[in-house]
Parts: sequence; structure tokens; C-alpha cells
Amino acid sequence: MAIVGILFSGVNLFAQQEKIDVFPTVPYERFIVYQNLIIFWIGIIGLIVIIKMKLREVERTQKMGIDKEEKDIPLLD
Amino acid sequence: MNCPRLKSWFSDRYDFEEIKGFAKQKLVPTHKYEIWYYTGGITLFLFIIQFITGMVLSFYYIPYFEQAHKSIIEIVTKLNMGWFFRSLHHWGAQIAIVVLFIHVWSALLLKAYRKPREFLWLSGFILLGISIFFGLSGYLLLWDERAFAAVRVATGGAGNLPVVGEFIKSFLRGGIDVTGDTLTRFYAFHVSVLPLVTFFLIGLHILLVQYHGMSVPLSVQKNERKEIPFFPNLFYKDLVIWLVVLGIVVTLATLAPPEIGKKADPLAPAPENIKPEWYFLFLFQTLKLFPGEIFGLNGETIAILLISAGIFFFFLIPFFDRKSQRGEKSTLFTWIGIIYFLYFLIMTAIGFIS
Repeated sequence: MAIVGILFSGVNLFAQQEKIDVFPTVPYERFIVYQNLIIFWIGIIGLIVIIKMKLREVERTQKMGIDKEEKDIPLLD
Repeated sequence: MNCPRLKSWFSDRYDFEEIKGFAKQKLVPTHKYEIWYYTGGITLFLFIIQFITGMVLSFYYIPYFEQAHKSIIEIVTKLNMGWFFRSLHHWGAQIAIVVLFIHVWSALLLKAYRKPREFLWLSGFILLGISIFFGLSGYLLLWDERAFAAVRVATGGAGNLPVVGEFIKSFLRGGIDVTGDTLTRFYAFHVSVLPLVTFFLIGLHILLVQYHGMSVPLSVQKNERKEIPFFPNLFYKDLVIWLVVLGIVVTLATLAPPEIGKKADPLAPAPENIKPEWYFLFLFQTLKLFPGEIFGLNGETIAILLISAGIFFFFLIPFFDRKSQRGEKSTLFTWIGIIYFLYFLIMTAIGFIS
């Protein structure tokens, strides 16, 4: 009876689903992940700054009106 | 990077000047509500993320009920960056549906559906329905307890529709009950049928936007029309917003990867206090409001009929709102839109809390 009881509780233990790790558990790997996230954000912010600079330049040229092609401009031979 | 030989190779064969000219000619109105113009582009960007991450996951996912759950565990635990792609796909879907709802509500409240843009509204509404079905079909692929119960309830609910209900239920399930056949069928929907239909509808939707131009709200239409070129002004602004959205999705995917629940057991009863995904909560709560029987008729059937009528009215709103069609202010339909929005928010909140 005791052996049956032990076997039954053993089977139960295996039957219970362990929590599945959906994120790296090793501390070093976690560190790498967080580090890469920071580098990623630095990249995103850098790109945003560059695009905004380009946009400001475009808006400045549009305001001055020099972005439009002149119709009567002489062509170079 | 300047490659004159490569450029001249292409320009000898294709007339890019015409395309450039068209892109430069396209103008977009600028006014105090222009921020809502970006919601469509954000939704498109998120859909692109979904297609890319979905394709990557489909290399390793096994769409067979005995191995589906295990294949996802293997993707998450054994594949390099598998957890990240799965998390990106999950959060991309959640945020895509949020932004899609914002896009639809903004079109509704700003009356962007009025003449001549009725087909834009209709195609967009169908895309909303498809996106929700994308969410439901993708959800089942995990084959865990919660997803199994949610699909059983959702397809069972569809079965309560009179006349066509049973057909829809057995078509979606691939049989009488949710089984392995349902998983295969939902996988086919998720990776094949729905993407094809989505491509076509998004293409049509964008084409119609190019044809009609951006809708200007009635309250600012009478003001002096100011316009900016789409390229490069709005294009650069779009890029900035897309980068921010990418940052948010990646951050959420990294810091809050979704859990994997217990494998589904078709013979076991649904877990207690089970709830569907958040975008179904308002429907779930609405069903709870109705008693089992109303004047001798099945309460659930009446609930589903009323919900369907509400959704159908929403779908055909451009044809009901005659004042907007004439270019007049339509306060009644603004209030209808606000009531729909508040109902959705309140019922979703109650669903979360209860």
C-alpha cells in the first residue's frame, strides 16, 4: 500500500506542469539581453535625431522656396 | 552611397522620374487633427512586423495537436532568440489591434467615412474583423487550456446565430467540437487564407487612400487649406513614429514575454474564471448581461443577434449618416460613435476587473 502511495504521488509530481521559462534564466544571458536593449534604444534615438535633422533641413529649404525647380533656368551645354 | 552606373542601368530600363514626380506631387493636408493620419501607417507597420516574425516562427511550429504545444516550448527554450521572436509576435499583435481600434474610432469620430470614402470605411471594417480573427486563430495555435476554452466559447457563440450558426460553427471547428482538426484549420486560416485576404484588402485600402486623398474633418474643412508634400515631409515623420513604435514593441517583447500555459486537454472542463483575450472581453461581458431565457427564447441567441445588429449598423454607418454625406455637421452620429467607444471601454474594464 505504501509503495503504491509513493508511486502515485511520484506520478502526480511528474504530471504537474513545471513553469516554462520564457525568458533566459542564466544571469549572464539576462545581462546581455538588457545590454542589447539599451544599445538598441541608443540606435533608435540616434536614427530619430538624424531623421529630424534632415526634416528640419527640408522644411528650411521649402520655406525659402529653393526646393522648387526654376522653369526658365538655362541648361548647361 | 552613390552608384551612378547602377542608377543608369536601372534608368535605361525603368522610368523612375515619373514615380519620383508622382511621389513629390502627393500633398497631405495639415491641420489640428493631422496626428490621426499616422494611425493607419502604424497599423501597416505592425502588420509587417507580424508577417516577418510569423514567417520566422512558422519554420519551427508544428501544426499538429499532439506536438503544437511542445514545438512552442522548443522554440522558446531551445532556439536561439526563439523566445524573443515569439514575444515580438505576441506584442506586435496586441499593439496592432489597439492601434487598429484607435484608427477605426478616429475615422468614425472625424467622419472620414463620409462621401466619397464609403469603400474605404467598408474595406477598413472588414480588415478589423480579419485582424480579430487573426488574433483568435493565432491564439489557438498555442494549444493551451486558455486558448482551447476561448476558441470553444467563441465558435460556440457563432453557432447560436439562427439558420447559419451551425454551419459557421462546424466550418470553423472542422467538426462538432474543437479538436486537432480545428488546430489544423486555424493554422491554415492564420498563415494562408487570412494573409492573402489581408494583402488584397490592404492593397485596395491604400489604393483608395491614394485615389481619394486624405479626408479633412468637417470642422476644419472651411479653413484655409494648408498642405505639405507627402515625400519627404510626411514620410520622414512616419519613419520617426515607426521607429518609436518599433522601440515600444521590442521593449515590451524583451521585458514581458508571454507565458506558456498548460497543454490543452479536450476532455477536461474549462479552468475556473477563464477569460478571453482583451478584445473579446466586451462581447463576453455583454453575453453575461442576458439571462438564459427571454420570453421563452434562448437568451444567448438574442444576445448574439443584438450584438450582430450593432456591429452591422457600425459597418453600414456611412450610409446611415446622411448629414455627413451632404457635408454637414452630424452631432447624432458623433454621439453614437462616442457611445460605442465608451461601451467598449467600460465593458472591457468590467471584464478585466470581474
